[in-house]
Amino acid sequence: MTVNKRSKPTSVNPMKIGQSLGSVLAFQGCYKALPIVHGAQGCSAFPKALLTRHFREPIAVQTSALQEMDVIFDANRNLEEALNTILSKHRPDIIGIIGTELTDVAGVDYQSMLKTYKRERNMRGGLAFSVTLPDFRGSLESGFSSTVEAMLDEMIQQVGHRGSRSVNTRQITLLPGSFLTPGDVMELKEMISSFGFEVIALPDISTSLSGHLLTGFSPLTRGGVPLDSMLQSLHSGLTIAIGGSMERPARRLHNALGTPYKVFESAMGLKATDDILQFLHQISGEPVQLRYCWQRENLLDSMLDAHFQFAGMSALVALEPDHLYTVSSWLEELGVEQKALVTSYETPLVVEMEREVWVGDLDDVELLGKGADLWIGNSHGINGAARLDAAFMAAGFPVWNELGAYMATSVGYRGAMEWTNKAANLLMRREEEHRESSIRYRGWN
Amino acid sequence: MESIRNDVFDAQACGSLTPKSKPCPRPKPGEAAGGCSFDGAQITLLPIMDAAHLVHGPAACAGNSWESRGALSSGPSLSQYGFTTDLNDNDIIFGGEKKLKDSIDYIAGRFMPPAIFVYATCVTALIGEDLDAVCKEAAGRLGLPVIPVNSPGFVGSKNLGNRLAGEALLQYVIGTGEPEIEIPLGVNLIGEYNIAGEMWDIEKLMKSVGITLMSRITGDARYKEITWAHHAKVNMVVCSRALLGLAKEMEARYHIPYFEGSFYGAKETTYSLRQMAYLLNDREMERRVDRLTEREENRLIQELRPYRKLLKGKKAVLYTGGVKSWSIISALKELGVQVVGVGTNKSTEDDVRRIADRVGDDTEYIPEGGASRIIKTVRDRKADIMIAGGRNMYVAMKEQIPFIDINQERHKAYAGYEGLLRLAKELTYSLANPIWKLAASAAPWDKEEPSYDR
Ligand code: SF4
Repeated sequence: MTVNKRSKPTSVNPMKIGQSLGSVLAFQGCYKALPIVHGAQGCSAFPKALLTRHFREPIAVQTSALQEMDVIFDANRNLEEALNTILSKHRPDIIGIIGTELTDVAGVDYQSMLKTYKRERNMRGGLAFSVTLPDFRGSLESGFSSTVEAMLDEMIQQVGHRGSRSVNTRQITLLPGSFLTPGDVMELKEMISSFGFEVIALPDISTSLSGHLLTGFSPLTRGGVPLDSMLQSLHSGLTIAIGGSMERPARRLHNALGTPYKVFESAMGLKATDDILQFLHQISGEPVQLRYCWQRENLLDSMLDAHFQFAGMSALVALEPDHLYTVSSWLEELGVEQKALVTSYETPLVVEMEREVWVGDLDDVELLGKGADLWIGNSHGINGAARLDAAFMAAGFPVWNELGAYMATSVGYRGAMEWTNKAANLLMRREEEHRESSIRYRGWN
Repeated sequence: MESIRNDVFDAQACGSLTPKSKPCPRPKPGEAAGGCSFDGAQITLLPIMDAAHLVHGPAACAGNSWESRGALSSGPSLSQYGFTTDLNDNDIIFGGEKKLKDSIDYIAGRFMPPAIFVYATCVTALIGEDLDAVCKEAAGRLGLPVIPVNSPGFVGSKNLGNRLAGEALLQYVIGTGEPEIEIPLGVNLIGEYNIAGEMWDIEKLMKSVGITLMSRITGDARYKEITWAHHAKVNMVVCSRALLGLAKEMEARYHIPYFEGSFYGAKETTYSLRQMAYLLNDREMERRVDRLTEREENRLIQELRPYRKLLKGKKAVLYTGGVKSWSIISALKELGVQVVGVGTNKSTEDDVRRIADRVGDDTEYIPEGGASRIIKTVRDRKADIMIAGGRNMYVAMKEQIPFIDINQERHKAYAGYEGLLRLAKELTYSLANPIWKLAASAAPWDKEEPSYDR
């Protein structure tokens, strides 16, 4: 189907999240990493504040702190200074330089500066690479997947193509998309390893942003996949990517190393989980574990219980492209009418969707979703949902009005069950409120 | 390229117009923290609740920042809308002025706000968009104030942004309107953003002694009231160094005397109210203020008694990013909490002097940020609690240090007499929470156990 855009000069209540924020998020899933946003201070301060608010965890990020004159004369002097400081003080394993719209428009060549810097300092043993992510293109999702792609690129280059690569067929590289929570990544890792595979998730926010009590402050990331595991992942026999945006990084591995890959556009709901488990069952020859058989029945049972609640209900979804696709296919299984699907920018996946998708802002969502019963989207939607009198279900990024949102699970049978119950409960409560107000209206009290 | 601001040199005097204040240090690449000037300008102007705030730039400057502040509104909510021209590649190459003009027209037509503030961002400043001209043209055509805010992120710190916003108000807003009825004894509050509703507590106090709040610059403000701010008899700058320049300029232009004060702590609150009455030069009002403050302070002493008992001798490390340091110290002292470490990274010499007046000799000054520095102070000085901004909250949680959020995003109002009581309660709840013991103890199987005799 086609992707539509409403014509209006201004974005009103934007959905777009800067690409650089997606990149900073990706780095949080790597151990002892420090991304440097190459731009003015705000470009790292805003993502830091927003990610902190969502995950309720400290976020590792630094800035080259460009000011007006630096941009005009020599932005890379700042970057060099930032690198010197960081290397001497914190010794990160992974450094990512995130080019912003500022360095892009000013035409700063930090790529070759970084190359020279690495050569001169004789930097080996770590990963240091750059990725260009101006905020006038894409959104959180593209920033995240581009960063993973750049990271793989750098790893491949470092290890080199030479010689015969030993392949470990019992090892799988998991490329989880930007919309997955730490809880989701954990669930996927468990699911895959239940078939006897070793899994290396890249990045792995399940061990960095899921909440832990490590003391001893460090400005570097405190969890995530360590560098040696990352390099180890180049020996995997297979790549599994979750989310359409992760296909490119998976293909990158395939092109360079010949690693076969499988992309699952969704991992939420009955059918999507069936597909994943069936696939893993086939390639491993192992049976599907009993707990998943149980969970499948639990899910079906909860869908049966909830279907009364969903009857005649309509929902609108305002999420990043991959997430939108996932949630839309889950709603399909519940028989909920999809009143409006709105996303932040156009991707091949949403273009191919069989439903009408809009690229727009939350103001468009309000207009297109009139009459919807359920609003699914990030916390910026709370006011819009109230104006539409729709129940509000927090999902995506950022979510600040709920505790534990970052650990909520949507993937697998268990995740789908959680979401199904949550959505149905929200609708039930809304119905009760309506009933109460009609009682008051008739003057009973 | 021409510089964004022709008074760059002056801009270095970040915060105050007085030339003798020390210049803002250049942020250190690789260890800088804190927001950009655009952020600062927004913080100052967004609490003008009925106005539209349009960000001219790529989506992220607005997308990453809207709805992130705790400045409350008692009515209109248009300022909570995120408006941005959302520039794409093409706009950057061919220029975004047309889009900006169309956006202003669109917002004016659809939302009919009393005014539109238009913010420059790094990219639009870099490619040389003429914000002033577009705004001027639109204002003339639409018959609506359209105010350019030239504070792109890369001109400097958040603080400088606060100040540039103040300059925009001076240049385009203050003095352009007249109040409907004459207000004989009006006071402007400058730099009180109504975080968590603090302004409302203060307003209540002022009202009860007959002082009228003339213009809020800017917590829970309406555009109109700022246009007639020049009719006030007194300006109070609420512990915000950045807007001191605004008060000074209003003194020069409109002969409005100003004073710096705070509402954190009973003593500071009393002092501020007294100062208002004194500058309004109304004997009767001064007497009313005396009666009120005496009554409130006495009541507070009673109500604080149980909390003071618990808080006495407790030690705190305070890191508020500068401006609020000295006033919070007073409030804490009244509760019996000793400040053993205090951040001075953004404080002026004046602020530091005020801090020194309020703390003991052995208090550690933390001149530069960085969570590790703050935590080290907490550990070294055996502090019981950390009081800082939300940015450091989860760092404190990881270290299992009781924490109170004191900055923009907090949900509790600590100003005035009521606020001090609230602060006492919060401190007590935080310190007494069972989590600190639970988190500090290991799982039973990780503890050394004597082996069973078998
Ligand atoms: S530093 Fe510039 S580009 Fe970055 S958020 Fe601030 S205004 Fe926007």
